[in-house]
Amino acid sequence: MSSISQTDFSETLKFWPRHNEALYRRLETKHSWLEDVPGDGSPADPLEHQMVLNIGPQHPATHGVLRCVVKLDGERIERCVLDIGYLHRGVEKIAENKTYQEFMPYTDRMDYLSPYSNNVAWCLAVEKLAGIEVPDRAQWIRMMMSELARISAHLLWMGVGLMDAGAVSVFLWSFQFREDLYTIFDEVAGARLTVSHSRIGGVATDLNDTGIALIADFAERFPEAIAGWEKLLNRNRIWIDRNLGIGYMSAEDVVARGLTGPNLRGSGVAHDIRRFEPYLKYEEVDFQIPIRTEGDALARYFIRMDEMKESVKIIKQCLEALKTVKGAVRTDDAKRSYPSKDEVYYSMEGLIHDFMYTDTGVTPPKGASVYHAIEAPKGELGFYLQSDGTGSPWRAKMNSPSFSNLQGLETLLEGAQMGDMVILIGTVDPVLGEADK
Amino acid sequence: MADTNKSKAPSTLPFSFVPQEPETAVENNPHAKATTQVADVVEALKASFGDAVHEVVVYAGEHTVRVDRTRIVEVCTFLKTEQGFNYLADAGGLDRFTEDDRYEVFYNLVNITDMKRIRISLRVDEDGMSVPTVTDVYPAANWNERECFDMFGISFDGHPDLRRMFMPEDFEYYPLRKEFPLLGVPGSLPLPPQVPTGELTGDPFPAAHGHKPPKSFQEVKSEEENG
Amino acid sequence: MTTRVDAVVNWARSNSLMPMPMGLACCAIEMMAFAAPKYDVARFGSEAMRFSPRQADLMIVAGWVSYKMAHTIRRVWDQMADPKWCIAMGACASSGGMHRCYGVVQGCDNFLPVDVYIPGCPPRPEAVIHALMDIQEKIRNEYSVAQDGEFGKEVRKITPARPTIVTPTGEDAISPSGLYTQ
Repeated sequence: MSSISQTDFSETLKFWPRHNEALYRRLETKHSWLEDVPGDGSPADPLEHQMVLNIGPQHPATHGVLRCVVKLDGERIERCVLDIGYLHRGVEKIAENKTYQEFMPYTDRMDYLSPYSNNVAWCLAVEKLAGIEVPDRAQWIRMMMSELARISAHLLWMGVGLMDAGAVSVFLWSFQFREDLYTIFDEVAGARLTVSHSRIGGVATDLNDTGIALIADFAERFPEAIAGWEKLLNRNRIWIDRNLGIGYMSAEDVVARGLTGPNLRGSGVAHDIRRFEPYLKYEEVDFQIPIRTEGDALARYFIRMDEMKESVKIIKQCLEALKTVKGAVRTDDAKRSYPSKDEVYYSMEGLIHDFMYTDTGVTPPKGASVYHAIEAPKGELGFYLQSDGTGSPWRAKMNSPSFSNLQGLETLLEGAQMGDMVILIGTVDPVLGEADK
Repeated sequence: MADTNKSKAPSTLPFSFVPQEPETAVENNPHAKATTQVADVVEALKASFGDAVHEVVVYAGEHTVRVDRTRIVEVCTFLKTEQGFNYLADAGGLDRFTEDDRYEVFYNLVNITDMKRIRISLRVDEDGMSVPTVTDVYPAANWNERECFDMFGISFDGHPDLRRMFMPEDFEYYPLRKEFPLLGVPGSLPLPPQVPTGELTGDPFPAAHGHKPPKSFQEVKSEEENG
Repeated sequence: MTTRVDAVVNWARSNSLMPMPMGLACCAIEMMAFAAPKYDVARFGSEAMRFSPRQADLMIVAGWVSYKMAHTIRRVWDQMADPKWCIAMGACASSGGMHRCYGVVQGCDNFLPVDVYIPGCPPRPEAVIHALMDIQEKIRNEYSVAQDGEFGKEVRKITPARPTIVTPTGEDAISPSGLYTQ
């Protein structure tokens, strides 16, 4: 019995009628996992308990422009169709028109909660494509800043997830520490949010003493703050009730559905790119990867909190290493990375190299294609690059973790209660900027 | 100074960028990973599928196996059940812009327990733009195949829900094809009306052409509206 | 009489602006930072970020607008009650920004009447505060209560309460309202 009275939207909706038709038709024809008939056996009037609700792209949950069209049976979501693309820019097409270095700022805007991670991912992919070696000091700096970006992303997840669940003060506390992180990024990279500090072949500039002092201070103060929040939340009756048992996915399910990051690890699958395919200096630092087997939202909460603590450990070890590992922060080869600003300002060759690098850039071998992934805070962020011998990629495919995670969200939402929807979106933690590319 | 430059051959000028052929590329790529060394898996594939495996490319330690388009489901089933590649990390399309076999579809598969990664690709000709879907083997390919359909127009036979992924269904083009302009086709995506009761705006740059939408108290009341 | 009512009403309106954050992308994160403790927007009276258009009077478009999303934004804008103002936050909302491609509307002023544009990618929260203060000034100086019932009627020119700005040479007088309207 169809509870959707019309699928022809050309009269009621002026815009995208075919799109909405297709969407609602998919909702109607989707297999429902719940019984259409209520418990007492008698066939009831569907209009009494069924409703199609459009949780539109603009809504108070701060995770971005995600549209969920749900068919409700009472308070339970019987079926759901996710509609993304409201933030689609065609970043893959832009990549085909920019040089590898010019594309760096676009990667910032993909997962905009941890822009440094995306920069590093792009740089590593291009370096793999062109066979560029990165000096040690640059690798330590990149690793440290990536871990700071991980903390920044998880802090935002925590603040926004708890704010959506009702606890608004956690938002303010997490933003207080995010401001400290922004000050660090400002000092080190020159920008708060969209850093673009990584360069192909290394990083743009070395850290100065203020930057190192700020990072050390943050690493000292932060574990105490996490301990305080955990004291409030870990045994909090309300928080546990809202998360325990919600959004359960078994290990086979998460692997089959292609979820990634804390969603995989929350269901017991031991997969983290930092151990699977170690990059930068992850083999030389001592840290744990938190894994839980319960598979529900609470497990993922614990994983992300633990990941923040592990990140602090890694940052402290990086600071130690940076005291001894000195040297250049970029490779010296002029065809592979920018010369230092000293060279550019004070030598003719440096100036010419700088110009040629900006104009043409790195030229990887023709026909070469690589895939390089990193463990971004959301999961496996990878770039599949194919080169045509010129300075811009022929094809740059972005494997964004939020895209893979959102596929799993559709399954998670079906059968869930309406009130849990916000918790489920929070636990999967999508960032629509990267999901929509 | 100028004549010495003229007498040099182009390839010996210090600032020429000659595209390198893959054979002359760096032998020991510093970023090559152990997980992509899957020569044994490639051998097993060749043994099972013989001539369905068209080509194996190795670059930076990664193996890309090009298989026959019609046998992709069997290849994926073999890899999943017998080689343990149970996780699909990524799948997508590629426009080679050649006359034959214009498009390519690739799948990045991961074996989590044995820590291996392999890439399977297949070529699609412009005349037969369809590929059997692998969603029965890897449900994770669902949205990836939809994205490939949206961006290139390659349809996947047997896909449970082949709709566009990012662009609205009303959009008639396939953006990532090389002939689609970066700025798009003007008028292919209409803008909202300039006043609430108006028609959709066809011009993508009305503000540049001097038509800025009026503030609500500046809107002229239309005759058809009551009260 | 009208001017004194105007002064009071405009003072009240400008100090209690309820932003409706149309937070789309990275600028939304800076907008959240603008509401956060360090660059507290609550001290400007705009703490109540109302996500319902019926309860808000200032829409801050933060992030790039895709063609698919533009219709939603316009719909939400139409649902807002008068008087309403719009801030285009960031380069992408103002002009398409760095995204010069098929999916992004090159500026939300192609379908929304924008009052203040904030450059930046993303603009620092201080810049957003500056824009908010600009809107406050605009409300105080250029809006009149008499306009509230004006829908459908011919527009009456409002004389700004501020004196006109004279150029250094003393010749041309620039009206501040000329800086904002087309």
